[in-house]
Amino acid sequence: MPDDEAFDLAGCLARVRAQDQTAARDLVGHLYPFVIRIVRSHLPRRVAEEDLAQDIFLKMFTRLDQYQGNVPFTHWVSRIAVTTCIDQLRAQKRRPEFRWADLAENEAEMLDHVLADENASAPDDALAARELVNKLLAQLNPEDQLVLRLLDLEQKTIREISALTGWNGALVKVRAFRARRKLHKLFTALQRKERS
Amino acid sequence: MNPPDKAWQRLVTAARRAPADAPASVPYGFATRVAAQALTQPAPAGLSLERLAIRALGVACLAAVLGVAANYSVFTNGSAEEEAFFTTDDPAAIVLDVS
Repeated sequence: MPDDEAFDLAGCLARVRAQDQTAARDLVGHLYPFVIRIVRSHLPRRVAEEDLAQDIFLKMFTRLDQYQGNVPFTHWVSRIAVTTCIDQLRAQKRRPEFRWADLAENEAEMLDHVLADENASAPDDALAARELVNKLLAQLNPEDQLVLRLLDLEQKTIREISALTGWNGALVKVRAFRARRKLHKLFTALQRKERS
Repeated sequence: MNPPDKAWQRLVTAARRAPADAPASVPYGFATRVAAQALTQPAPAGLSLERLAIRALGVACLAAVLGVAANYSVFTNGSAEEEAFFTTDDPAAIVLDVS
């Protein structure tokens, strides 16, 4: 979250509404690290992240009159960012079938490890695990990816996810359930195929 | 073999340990470009269409009200005229000359 105390957000927003370009520039600079973190966590392939960040900021400025101040400004911006990421994921081409051969050596080892070893503790290669998670999630549709990322990776609560996505709590749970079921099928298929 | 749900949980537990990306700094010129574009761009087409649709709805409502007002006499006197027409110009009555 950006440090809103050191930054006069209310004053900056008022100046932006009065078409002050310097204030708009300051606002972009202030929110950029926050926005780019959302972009990166939802678009692991890093496809033109700067372009996507630009889209998010332009949407933010276009809709600024709709911001009533009922929620913190960063929450409002994060919702725009998340929905823009979902739109981007929808626009991306569907991936081909997931195969062992597509994995890097350390990712394949990681997958072997989590599939085979029942009692061992969580594997150590965190980067490989993250890449593997990204590849597995990429097999799901955008909404399923989003809900599992927020729930399992970022460990957000149902309420937080509702606030971010605009989905109600029941919908979040249903989507998570369906997404896990798809992931379950994916793992089962991988176990069946084994490593060739 | 690990059950798939357990395998996923172990995998995400490991993935969460991955170091966070270095904080991103604003690319050179990005803020200036975005600010300039945001404050100079015309209203998006969707918004214009929405406004146009609302105006069109208003015009349609006004036209409907004016239409009703202009033909108010037809609604109020219409039944009496129809009755007179049927009683005076009834073809059967004329043929039989019963009036």
